[in-house]
Amino acid sequence: MNALRSRLSAVVADWRVQVALVLALLLAAPLLSPGTLQIASFVLVAAIFAQSINLLTGLAGQISLGHAGFFGIGAYCTGILVKTHELDVTLGVPAAVLLAGLTGWLLSFPANRVRDVYLAMMTLGFGMVFFEVVREWNELTGGTMGLPGVPSAALRTLTILGVKVDGLRYFQLVLLVTAGVILLVRNLTQSRIGRAFYAIQVSEVAAGSIGIPAGRTKQLAYALSGALAGLAGALYAHLVGYLGPESFALPRSIEVLVIAIVGGLGSIAGQVLSAVLFTFLPERLQVFAEWQFIAYGLILTFSLLVLPRGIGGLLFDAPRFIKARALTRAARLRADATALRPDVGGTALEAKGITMRFGGLVAVDDVSLRLEPGRITALIGPNGSGKSTFVNVVTGIYRPAAGQVSFGGRDITGLPDHQVATAGVVRTFQDPRLVPHFTVRENLLLGAHRQLRHSGLAATLALPGAIAEEAAQLALVEAVLALSDLTEVADRPIDTLPYGTRRMAEVGRALLARPRVILLDEPAAGLSETEMDRLAQLIRDMRAMGIAILLIDHHMDFLAELVDEVVVLDSGRMIYHGDIVGMRSDAQVIAAYLGDEAAHA
Amino acid sequence: MDDFFFSLLLAGISVGAVYALIALGLNLTFWTTKTLNFGQGSLMMLCAMLTVFISSQGVAITLAVVGSLAVVAALGMFIERWTVRPSLQSSGGSMGWVVSTLGFGIFLQGMAAKCFGSQAVAFPDVVFNAQDFVTLFGQYISLQYLVVLAVAVALILAFELFIRRTVWGQAVHAVSLDPELALVQGIPVRRLILGSFMLSSILAGVAGVLIAQIGGTVDPAFGFDLVLLGFVAAVLGGMGSSLGALAGGLLVGVISKLVGGYVSTAAEHGIAFALLMLALAVRPQGLFGRPEVSKA
Repeated sequence: MNALRSRLSAVVADWRVQVALVLALLLAAPLLSPGTLQIASFVLVAAIFAQSINLLTGLAGQISLGHAGFFGIGAYCTGILVKTHELDVTLGVPAAVLLAGLTGWLLSFPANRVRDVYLAMMTLGFGMVFFEVVREWNELTGGTMGLPGVPSAALRTLTILGVKVDGLRYFQLVLLVTAGVILLVRNLTQSRIGRAFYAIQVSEVAAGSIGIPAGRTKQLAYALSGALAGLAGALYAHLVGYLGPESFALPRSIEVLVIAIVGGLGSIAGQVLSAVLFTFLPERLQVFAEWQFIAYGLILTFSLLVLPRGIGGLLFDAPRFIKARALTRAARLRADATALRPDVGGTALEAKGITMRFGGLVAVDDVSLRLEPGRITALIGPNGSGKSTFVNVVTGIYRPAAGQVSFGGRDITGLPDHQVATAGVVRTFQDPRLVPHFTVRENLLLGAHRQLRHSGLAATLALPGAIAEEAAQLALVEAVLALSDLTEVADRPIDTLPYGTRRMAEVGRALLARPRVILLDEPAAGLSETEMDRLAQLIRDMRAMGIAILLIDHHMDFLAELVDEVVVLDSGRMIYHGDIVGMRSDAQVIAAYLGDEAAHA
Repeated sequence: MDDFFFSLLLAGISVGAVYALIALGLNLTFWTTKTLNFGQGSLMMLCAMLTVFISSQGVAITLAVVGSLAVVAALGMFIERWTVRPSLQSSGGSMGWVVSTLGFGIFLQGMAAKCFGSQAVAFPDVVFNAQDFVTLFGQYISLQYLVVLAVAVALILAFELFIRRTVWGQAVHAVSLDPELALVQGIPVRRLILGSFMLSSILAGVAGVLIAQIGGTVDPAFGFDLVLLGFVAAVLGGMGSSLGALAGGLLVGVISKLVGGYVSTAAEHGIAFALLMLALAVRPQGLFGRPEVSKA
């Protein structure tokens, strides 16, 4: 089954097959009846619409129950511009795409303040508000009577730039647009943007720790998804020629959700197959048309349980997030891990008088410390002594009640986590927070996210500059893989690998984020002896690069060989600061770990 | 006071109390599982539709209501067992249960359209008919509105007493704070969750019957807007707060009726949804809720 799946994926991913398929459809179209051509055009519209859900929900993980709203905005925008204002379709459709994209961007602001249930309800509300507005705004949309006579292929009234377009030409045109959209969505998925979308779906905190801003990333996802849905709606308007509010009500949002989920969220090819299935079935099978709504209900109820990854997951390999072209190009490059050496030397991180309270509990109490470049500072203390909270404060996850964090003379207290990371302060987590479905290589490349400076447009069009930049970072990834002994497992999904490997991958990812200060929260927990040696070597390498290192751990033998100085916390207070030999005989430290009697013995 | 304003106000308070009832039902499952049934509207519709159907077969209306409530209660348990629980166990985040409960609601709606037709049917008068009124301070007051208000408020009070005063109510609180700890304490968490969905469905069913009584008709698409209005009430008041649900419900009811009366009847629901988006954007924790504190 797996072998078959890989073969099938390879065939579908082959550009020659793709070109051949599009050409075959273009050439075969004149042989089809006008009725079939119209249904085929509906399939294409549904495929584009499903991609918009795929982008927002499948990649960025944001649910939408009101996508018919964007679809409707696109349809009405071009419908009104072309019919009432007699603009050309070549202006009407782009305007529709822009307006729907803008609406998506605007919706992202309230949507970014909520999640889960609230987001589902808010998007449901958005769809309803759109429906009510369309129904009531008689002058603009024709209200319940709808907007008849939009220039369209069905009515034989469509002209584009003065050329008459019939059903056949329109199908061919929409086919090319769809092929373009699919290509762009694939490029986007396999770029820094697609990886960032997926990273915030998995964990916004982890994404923030390597400099990916959750808020702005989601805004982009909403805008792009809105624009795609608007495109689908605009193409629909010039296909059917009549727009009524009922076409853009809840059932349309449900339908596209069904198509996207059954197709398999994340799988582009799956969406297309699913669009074919759900457009042809009701047209060809009277029984299905009659039971359509009931069937959709049942499918939504059980599909995520029965077939969680949809048709795409059944037929094809899981999608990958790096372009093959970038990989081949990277294979020809050679990079040295020393290139990860921070370019600005001599900046220290200084935390002064940090205090953090949760209600009445003082988790960190007036802690000050300084992390110097090329030095390893251990932060130790019993469980609950405030070590992780301190790291959370420094990296911008919590805002301290008092105190100041400055870095290279700049005050970074209370900056959002992704800005702290961008400044060069990077951390790992007590529980590795990687993207489970990504391969090791993809996870590491995610660390280099903010080194990839090419524009979103360049990434989407896969311009040579973007590929070159991605390849350069991939060469560095290769060097870090070698340094952390992960080369062998580089192309395995991280969730299939043992715990110790994941830990190493997380440290590697943090290293690729070009830290000037790195905070490692119990990186050695759960590692075997050999893995620990490897980690120790990696940490020494980082020290040699001149990175300032904070190391939280409980394993004293591991620390003893590595660290330059030790800070001990107990109940949030700093009880010791000095070298590790002095710590072993310090009465307060012994009391904290073993109780008072041991200290007096 | 102007008659028109007064009648709108009363209508608003009356439907608002029903929205509060829906909100309480949503709160209840939110307490026990942090989930809610997106198909709750279909339960409201089904309960009202079934009542019409059973009473049209010559059964006494009160019996018809009780029978329909029993069906809806059973469906509520089915929803917990076969849509919510499997989704929570497969741990795909909130996506799973939102989609599956919504799907089941759509399924019910489709079935209702198949069995009873998709046309609106007249809802029989349970106690008074639409023409009955009393005069109070020189104002005509529809008795139906008063009865609906009285039933809704009585149920809300009974619900509050149940939650505050009984062992089961305390158990619900315990589960809402920490399900694992509750389980260790010997609280039958599974049964409690099942019960919460049952009770939530009954509340939805009652709300459906009450709204159908005021509106006079019911059709398969009837519940969808309503559950969203109930959610608006719950969010405005602060998700999980009973007092908030009541205040939120009344607020939504009165505002939407006033807008409906003075601006346009069609804007009635639109304004409530706009209110929802605004409330979520500005103050997601609601009027009476506290912001959620989460540990990274």
